[in-house]
Amino acid sequence: MSPRDGFSQVLRGEWTKLITVRSTVWCLFLTIGLTVLLSILGAQGSSTDVGAAPQRVLEDRSHFMHQPLTGDGTITARVVSQEDTGGWAKAGIMIKQSVEPETPYVAMLVTPDHGVRFQADFTTDVAAGASGTPAWLRLTRSGATVTGYTSPDGATWRQVGSFDLAGPRQAVEVGMFAATPPSGTRVFRRGGSTTAFTNYEPSTATFDNVSLNLAGGGSAGTWKSETVGGAMPLPDGTNLVGEASESGGVFTVTGTGDVREVPFTERGDDDIVQNALGGVYLGMIAAAVLGVLFVTTEYKTGLIRTTLTASPRRGRVLLAKAIVLGVLTFGCGLVASLVSLFGTRPIQRDHGYVPPYYPDPSLTNGPVLRAVLGTAAFLALMALLGLGLGAIIRRTAGAVVVVLALALVPGIAAGLLPVEGEKWLSRVTPLAGLAMQQTRERWDNWVSPWPGFAVACAYVALAIAAGVWLIRRRDTA
Amino acid sequence: MAATIEARGLRKRYGATVAVDDLSFTAKPGEVTGFVGPNGAGKSTTMRMILGLDAPDRGQALIGGRSYLTLRNPLCEVGALLDASAIHPGRRARDHLLWMAHYNGLPKRRVDEVIEQVGLASAARRRAGGYSLGMRQRLGIAAALLGDPPVLMFDEPVNGLDPEGIHWIRGLLRSLAAEGRTIFVSSHLMGELEGTADHLVVVGRGRLIADTTVRELLAQASGEQIVLRTPARSEAMTLLANAGATVAATDRDTITVRGLAADRIAGVLSAGGLTFSELSQHRATLEEAYMELTRDEVEFNAPTVESAR
Repeated sequence: MSPRDGFSQVLRGEWTKLITVRSTVWCLFLTIGLTVLLSILGAQGSSTDVGAAPQRVLEDRSHFMHQPLTGDGTITARVVSQEDTGGWAKAGIMIKQSVEPETPYVAMLVTPDHGVRFQADFTTDVAAGASGTPAWLRLTRSGATVTGYTSPDGATWRQVGSFDLAGPRQAVEVGMFAATPPSGTRVFRRGGSTTAFTNYEPSTATFDNVSLNLAGGGSAGTWKSETVGGAMPLPDGTNLVGEASESGGVFTVTGTGDVREVPFTERGDDDIVQNALGGVYLGMIAAAVLGVLFVTTEYKTGLIRTTLTASPRRGRVLLAKAIVLGVLTFGCGLVASLVSLFGTRPIQRDHGYVPPYYPDPSLTNGPVLRAVLGTAAFLALMALLGLGLGAIIRRTAGAVVVVLALALVPGIAAGLLPVEGEKWLSRVTPLAGLAMQQTRERWDNWVSPWPGFAVACAYVALAIAAGVWLIRRRDTA
Repeated sequence: MAATIEARGLRKRYGATVAVDDLSFTAKPGEVTGFVGPNGAGKSTTMRMILGLDAPDRGQALIGGRSYLTLRNPLCEVGALLDASAIHPGRRARDHLLWMAHYNGLPKRRVDEVIEQVGLASAARRRAGGYSLGMRQRLGIAAALLGDPPVLMFDEPVNGLDPEGIHWIRGLLRSLAAEGRTIFVSSHLMGELEGTADHLVVVGRGRLIADTTVRELLAQASGEQIVLRTPARSEAMTLLANAGATVAATDRDTITVRGLAADRIAGVLSAGGLTFSELSQHRATLEEAYMELTRDEVEFNAPTVESAR
């Protein structure tokens, strides 16, 4: 737009209007103040004892088709197929001290997304290159040492890694196993109380060319099917248990769970960045009211007639208002969210949210930066929603009621609705924009950051477009 | 194109009420045009249509031959004071003028000039909410003058002003017209425009009643009425009535006479042997002329009470 067509003049005029009224300045301070205040109160009110847990937290759940191995020996198998239930689903062969959980083990395995791997004792992990199924795997026990190999054809073998199994070494268990990490969370709500539980989808793998060569000669025993970690009762009444079978040399193993050490950052499931920015629920009210007032006071005082005689191109007047308000509230929102994020961090630390379980947030981290900017943008969007509704409704009270209803209803109704209803409501109201604050996977993330932001933007675009349409065709009497 | 205000067949309806009906007139440069009519006659509606705020159902309103909506920096073409209270109470008077100046790319200097011109310099940094009605009127006039426009419109500018303020506005209107500007001033009181307006557009119930100069209107309203003062009132009335005049008693010793020229009246009275102390041409006030014109056009009329004299 060239400067001669006057849009920059209107922008400048609206900027002057906005910053020369005390109530506006108060609303901006309130937006920042309320956001920070509620964020701090939220941080004061939450705590965790994640740091009190033992240093090493292990997860050891899989389905294992096994037999005992006394002395040295070699197990070879070809993984024919693996059901892709997640990038880290595991299927392969294993030598394990016993079927008791959390006992030491060595395994050669395949994964859908991370190729063939040699893993041992929950912490050792060696990548053996990307090769899908079928994949040839071999483990050889010689004394205390177990060595893993892989092969493209079952003829030429390449060593991947080796590991010393500590502890009593006479009898170990050897066999094929399958596991798959949980695929999200299932939630159900009964009588107002919400239960969330890990959702395990079993993964099935098939094996052939299975051979077990015992160093001292002798023949292999019979295979036993067992779920390491036992059957797991689920909150919905079902029992989670794996299964395995053999038919004509083809072994089918179905299992769930994972075999690994739980990393520090997964010990607690709180999203400390989202929590630190929680004050936006209060700040957005001030922002929305500011947006409403920026238009409705003009109608209330009759100033709108002066404005529209100063610029009869009405659509541009409203757009100029939107730009000026958006820039100013985004700036204040940025201050609010930075102060909230870093201001609450010492409190969070005092309340147990300490590294390495909860590392200090850094703006160089993508999701953290997205949360900070997204919070500021959300405050700006709420102000713009207020502006649009103000232009449509023209009366302060009515516009404030509508914008607050849009902003608050999801939070109020959340606990009363069935889970599906809450999910739906969180996706279709402007509050979906707060998904930008998510920095980790959580079961109650009903909507992803960018789609949620798009929903909020759509509300604003719709409200402002309707406002422009109406202001152009309505008399200003 | 001269900076005129031109209404061509304007019509505006709100629901069942026709606020303005086929209204046409022209306000010319160098003149104060009074826009007069009772409350509810459609004056403010007309002004809003001229300023592009309300869309006419039919007809056009043009400023210098152009629709207001096509003006790029309209404050430099038309200055308007519609409602002096239409200001944000929390904004300083100077800032109020400043945003308007920005809107039309006017320099800050103009803001200080018009503040000075309307005599608000000492109060310019106060918030407008604390302004008296008179100060608000001055602020509204400052806003109208901001772009130094050739056309100025004022809706009821003297409403609520003290005599000093009224005097000031009248002088301002006259001097603005003398500079060659087109001045369009509405009022529901004709008397307010006496001595100020050159031209009059009189409306009632949204329709044009008169589009005339002040002089013509006064002459028309004064008509052929003659005021006669005589101690023998009833005899004089009988004589003149017999001579074909319409007579009315206005006081104990005064009567007004229509339908007879002054010399004929003098002749009739002399012939009847009656004396009189005064015989003069009646001079109507603008207010009377207006009452005469709008007698049937007042929308909210008080019921007439028969005087028991």
